[in-house]
Amino acid sequence: MTLRGRQLAQLAGFALLAAAWVYAITRLLHTTVPSNLHLPDLKAEDYFTPRQLERARDFERFVRIDYVLSQVALLAALVGYALRGERLTRESAAGRVGTGLLLGMLGLGVVWFAQLPFGVANLWWERRHNISHQGYVSYVIDSFFGLGGTFLSVCLVIAIVMGFAGLLRNRWWIPGVPAIVGVGVLVAFITPFLIPSVHRLHDPQLRADARQLQRVEGLPKIPVEVQDVHEFTTAPNAESVGLGPTRRVILWDTLIRRNRFTRDQIRVVLAHEFGHQKHQHIWKGLAWTAVFLLPIAFLVALATRGRGGLYDPRAVPLALLVFVVLQLATSPLQNSVSSRMESEADWTAPNATRDPVAAMRLFQRLSTTSLTDPDPPGWWQALVGTHPSIMDRIEMAKGWPGR
Amino acid sequence: MDSQHPVWLTCDEGLERSRLTVFFRLLLALPHIVWFAFWTLAVLFVLIFNWFATLFTAKPPPFAHRFLTAYARYSTHLAAYVSLTGDKFPDFVGRPGSYAIDLHLPEEPQVQNRWKTGFRAILALPAWMLDAAFVGGSRSGYSNSGGVLWTNAFLAWFACLATGRMPEGLRDLNLYALRYSGQTHAYTLLITDRYPDADPFVAPVPEQAPHHPVRLPTGEDDLSRSRLTVFFRILLVIPHLVWLTLWGIAAFFVVLVGWFITLFTAQLPEGFHNFLTRYVRYGTHVGAYLLVAGGLFPGFAGAPGSYPIDVDVDPRARQNRWKTGFRLVLAVPAAAVSGAVGTAAFLAAIFSWWVALITGRMPRNLRQSILFSLRYSAQLNSYALLLTDRYPFASPAPPAASAAPPAVSPAVPVAE
Repeated sequence: MTLRGRQLAQLAGFALLAAAWVYAITRLLHTTVPSNLHLPDLKAEDYFTPRQLERARDFERFVRIDYVLSQVALLAALVGYALRGERLTRESAAGRVGTGLLLGMLGLGVVWFAQLPFGVANLWWERRHNISHQGYVSYVIDSFFGLGGTFLSVCLVIAIVMGFAGLLRNRWWIPGVPAIVGVGVLVAFITPFLIPSVHRLHDPQLRADARQLQRVEGLPKIPVEVQDVHEFTTAPNAESVGLGPTRRVILWDTLIRRNRFTRDQIRVVLAHEFGHQKHQHIWKGLAWTAVFLLPIAFLVALATRGRGGLYDPRAVPLALLVFVVLQLATSPLQNSVSSRMESEADWTAPNATRDPVAAMRLFQRLSTTSLTDPDPPGWWQALVGTHPSIMDRIEMAKGWPGR
Repeated sequence: MDSQHPVWLTCDEGLERSRLTVFFRLLLALPHIVWFAFWTLAVLFVLIFNWFATLFTAKPPPFAHRFLTAYARYSTHLAAYVSLTGDKFPDFVGRPGSYAIDLHLPEEPQVQNRWKTGFRAILALPAWMLDAAFVGGSRSGYSNSGGVLWTNAFLAWFACLATGRMPEGLRDLNLYALRYSGQTHAYTLLITDRYPDADPFVAPVPEQAPHHPVRLPTGEDDLSRSRLTVFFRILLVIPHLVWLTLWGIAAFFVVLVGWFITLFTAQLPEGFHNFLTRYVRYGTHVGAYLLVAGGLFPGFAGAPGSYPIDVDVDPRARQNRWKTGFRLVLAVPAAAVSGAVGTAAFLAAIFSWWVALITGRMPRNLRQSILFSLRYSAQLNSYALLLTDRYPFASPAPPAASAAPPAVSPAVPVAE
């Protein structure tokens, strides 16, 4: 094949990939929330007392400052590591890929150091507001050993990337992204078995509710389990995890202990989580990961070419920096995608429970118990808002009867 | 090296043992144990007085020095006798030169640093812990575990009764434990302010042990360590541990098949031998890195020469079928020794971790102690995984690479 022919073939391949990428986005953007839905414009002051609003906003003000500073520290640490980290190659006898793993892990270690003070500050703030009960020493130790799992994940990713870089040099991202997503699928599959302190839901009433809601949403039997977290936090939460046969819904015990939430409210939570399962949100999330990862990986490959690409372990510190910057830059997009899926689950909940009032009460209660600002500033919502704001969720519940 | 330390051990004892005295050893030692208990009580009072006196005058009073040196010496004689390291019944007063395994201490009181004296009890804590791992609770009073010395003594009791000889490797290892313990006693009793030396490769341990098919050649190490990698060491090793576990599963099946083949053909197939050699080598690389004895992040393939702390395994050879058939049972005593030595190495690694984190350097003597443990562990693994039918040799002395006779006969150890 001539040079021009090869260039044309490359261009065609690139165009095909871009077209597939755009098509995937259009498919993934599909939602069951009616597009012509007219939601009321509600005021937070009508649903929360001035004291509740003041308390939540006061709490979040500190959290926001802490978060912004921690991100600045994160970037500063990674810039420093990108500049000087390659010197740590002399600490390895592990060959090309092994040295890459070491540099990747040490990069995360540096990040841990940089973010630790902000994590401790956040814990201090949560303790002050009775959101967390965790001790400082326990927090530091837990977060240190929690790094072990992160180290393993980053090792797996770097091994894949550098393995393909050994074969394809700067085109590692083409097979690398599907391989990493494949690992993501595997991790999502086994996640239910990695969650600590989980036991079966004992409350017979809630179990019956769960079964009934599953029937209404047309789902097979999905186990509902409870995770004991009350020793660390008072914040309520729930999640849908697993794929296929490992699917399950996990409720934090802070949601069901001491009658903090009514049965109707817990039914809304269950219906919301089953909504995620019904709409295959974990699979969709993995697909979205691939969608975001593809351009990010391409840009990482491009940015590290000057250092020999990711074939060379010395490029790993720079790759970490570029990856984190791109992640931060795309976080508003990623959060909007996440919020879209959460909205769909929110929409499914009253469809199953037929009780939008309970949903509204639940969101009000969630805000007051975890001191979440119901109507946060747009920039904050864009940066960290993986869920719609509380007021958006209340508006959706309020607008449901007029669907 | 050892002569530089003011406290050292000599051994003028062969390996022959009287079966009769071995059989009744613990009972024979009873009068000594009672006497030792009374003496220890008196030592407590003298020690308190000695501490104040040394703190004010920077030198122990002569009578206290004589009393405490005799006590330290006597405790070594007694431990040597009970642990079967020595064969003769010791005297009751700890006279210098009165026993074949003797602890040499400064004859005159030495000038000591007042700071080191003032904080002696705190400074001695790591040494006490390591001493407990070497000698066990009954002597150090720190833990109730058996320690290296008493684990060896238990095993040696059976061996001595059966053969009338003390196993050479266990004897050498006991000498190492007794020397360290003697130095710890001297430091604790304010006989010297020199810290105990954990280096196992010094007299009275021979300079070289007989040839062994599994050796641990170690490359140059300037002992400098990156504080960052030291801090995260336990996490950095996690990918290796995962890989080692997966490799271990494969190794298990290879050994299972290899066991049948070796039982019938008296030889492990070449491919099996190479695969398992790499596994043992890789495990040693990972162990060295985890225990801070190695500074560099190891590779994942267990390739020979890829790491400064390496494992040399001789090419495959014919193996005794009986030893193959009962390999797992036969490996149990060595596993007990390995466990005891490994506990000491683990403690040494914890102390090394702190020192390396603060100073950026690995203490040489602790590194040597860990290397010895790694070597013994590699020999045990090679034995259990059918790479050789040669039993692990417990002596801290490094084995010769060739089958030539050892440079120094272990039966006639050198004093200084």
